Amino acid sequence: MGKAKIKLTKDLMEKVKKYAEMAGYSSAEEFITHCLEKEIAKLEESDSEEEIKKKLKGLGYIS
Amino acid sequence: MKGIKRRDFIKLGLTSGALMALGSSSELLTKTHGKRDTQKKVLILGLDGMDPHLLEVWMKQGKLPAFQQLWRQGDFCRLGTSIPPQSPVAWSNFVTGMNPGGHAIFDFLHRDPETYFPKFSGAETLDTKSSIRIGNLVLPLLGEEVRLTRKGRAFWQTLEDYDIPATVFKMPGNYPPASTKQRTLSGMGTPDLIGNQNTFNYYTTEFTEIKQDIGGGAIHEVYIAENKVETSLPGPVNPFKKDRTESSIDFTVFIDPVNPVAKIAIQGNEFILKEGEWSPWIRLHFRMIPTQSINGICMFYLKQVRPEFKLYVSSINIDPATAALPISTPKSYAEELEKKFGPFFTKGLPADTKALDNNVLDDAEFLQQDDFILQERLAMFEYELQRFDSGLLFYYVSSTDQRQHMFWRHIDKYSPLYDPKQAAKYGRTIENIYVEMDRMLARSMEKIDKDTVLIVMSDHGFSPFRRSFNPNSWLKEYGYHKLINEWRQGREDLFMNTDWSKTKAYSYGLNGLYINQKGRESEGIVNPGAEKEALVREIAHKLESFRDPQTGERPVLRAFVAKDVYQGSYVDEAPDIIIGYNQGYRVSWSAPLGRVPKEILEDNTEKWSGDHCMAPEIIPGILLVNREIKAESPALYDLTPTILQVFGIEKPKEMIGKPIF
Repeated sequence: MGKAKIKLTKDLMEKVKKYAEMAGYSSAEEFITHCLEKEIAKLEESDSEEEIKKKLKGLGYIS
Repeated sequence: MKGIKRRDFIKLGLTSGALMALGSSSELLTKTHGKRDTQKKVLILGLDGMDPHLLEVWMKQGKLPAFQQLWRQGDFCRLGTSIPPQSPVAWSNFVTGMNPGGHAIFDFLHRDPETYFPKFSGAETLDTKSSIRIGNLVLPLLGEEVRLTRKGRAFWQTLEDYDIPATVFKMPGNYPPASTKQRTLSGMGTPDLIGNQNTFNYYTTEFTEIKQDIGGGAIHEVYIAENKVETSLPGPVNPFKKDRTESSIDFTVFIDPVNPVAKIAIQGNEFILKEGEWSPWIRLHFRMIPTQSINGICMFYLKQVRPEFKLYVSSINIDPATAALPISTPKSYAEELEKKFGPFFTKGLPADTKALDNNVLDDAEFLQQDDFILQERLAMFEYELQRFDSGLLFYYVSSTDQRQHMFWRHIDKYSPLYDPKQAAKYGRTIENIYVEMDRMLARSMEKIDKDTVLIVMSDHGFSPFRRSFNPNSWLKEYGYHKLINEWRQGREDLFMNTDWSKTKAYSYGLNGLYINQKGRESEGIVNPGAEKEALVREIAHKLESFRDPQTGERPVLRAFVAKDVYQGSYVDEAPDIIIGYNQGYRVSWSAPLGRVPKEILEDNTEKWSGDHCMAPEIIPGILLVNREIKAESPALYDLTPTILQVFGIEKPKEMIGKPIF
């Protein structure tokens, strides 16, 4: 797996470390990777999700 | 799904209506003909959700004389419903004589184990096979196909084998209609022209009502300039355009500067509405390319002119005169009804419960709309009844179900929304629809002869819906479901915050609970076999043991293990556990679409206050017959072989039911 360095501000890095630990991630790197993957997935799939929800939410039983 | 991206597949599904239109030339199937006359006949009134307890109370009070007479002449009993008691499942039991293990309809919603996305259980859209592109236009060479996913044969298909005629009006779950030459009109599950189950449009100047995230409709902010509102009505996605843009029709509302009146001008139609007035059906043509348009029908309702402008437009129904989707067999049946009665409601469940739940329509306005639906149904029933002289007629009514869903809060003093003043005004709404059905039954009894078996049935009864249960939140609390980020809990649908690598179980749909099974789910972690079996039993036991800390009651009365209660070829496709809720409880509003709210239990504060997605023993349906019922505990799937028996047809081996006479 190739590696690349990304610069983060000191403040942000501190927060990343703090919340990675609180959320149970094994490292800050794992937390950042997870966040990026999820955000990218959201961008890739957002149309589909919205369309699925729009299609199904017309059913009276759900909202 | 090979070779096609998920998002493209979904988009193709959404445009099914549009693509079908390409093939909707003037071709007509031949009308039913060559059927033999039968001395024996069967007339069935399918009254969705009619509840045996309420029926009995009002019969004994003398409010339902025709029902009472039928009880005296024949028999009345509770009718066993389906597991779970949801209309598409229950009516499919009746249609096929099987349970969900045989007909493969397990819930309103199923899920794709590959993507963990939900989908409607009743119909699927198959990809168009080939197309040509000219600039920005995509021209399909073969029409897209919408396929019924219910397995097994419908009883009217078996009747057809024996040349016995049948007319089946609006059978729920029969969309697209099963292939037959019998007269059938599709029912619950039939989408609107957009491809959704409901899509109202609401135009208002009132700021507080705008930009709400609502399901089942859209709220549009409009401005009044020089006493005019200029806006547009969204239509179906244009399948001919490469970028699949949404079509729309511009329209203008001219507001009378003095009186509470407005004129609406849309596509050459001009009509005047007073405040509080509904338009007749308005026919719309969504132009896709110069030679192709898709036709729909809708109604406008001018709710208010001043101080704030409020205009409601109903879901755009498929135009039965030029149906863009398959809504009847033969195709000419819908056209025949349209010629006789004019445009009519073609959407599966036409009453706009979403508009009422979102305060776009109030109780009185909702009832006005549902009265249009009811009067249309009664007029068509009279037409079918008059020409019913052979074979079978099944006739379905949805208003019984829809009014109980929405008006139960007015007869339930323990409902979180109970209001004595409103109850005094609307407390008899449910009783009134039972009285309407009594009149319909009286007409039926006048018409039939001694050789006609008359069956009045419902698919389930009704129960209050006061508290909602979040199965996914419960699973999380008990360690069976893991989230990626705790702080995002409750914010997302479709399990977007679920960590599948640590999740053992999840719930989709109104009653289904699935194990995240290795080899079946794409990220499954539970081994099939002994490990899964033990987990299923463990979760079922814990669900049944769980108590609501607020009431002390058990929200889950029964947690059915699918393989214990289903028979047939499709048991493996079932949810692993089917949750049977206790009286007063139901699944929460957001859990069916894969949300994991923070609370396990919440009060139900929606107007949708009566329900039936509970344990089947709580909400049986009704069965009245003008014959003696010999079966001790008849169930929906017993009526199917009963019908065949009347016509001397042996029960097919796949049917699990037994005749009731």
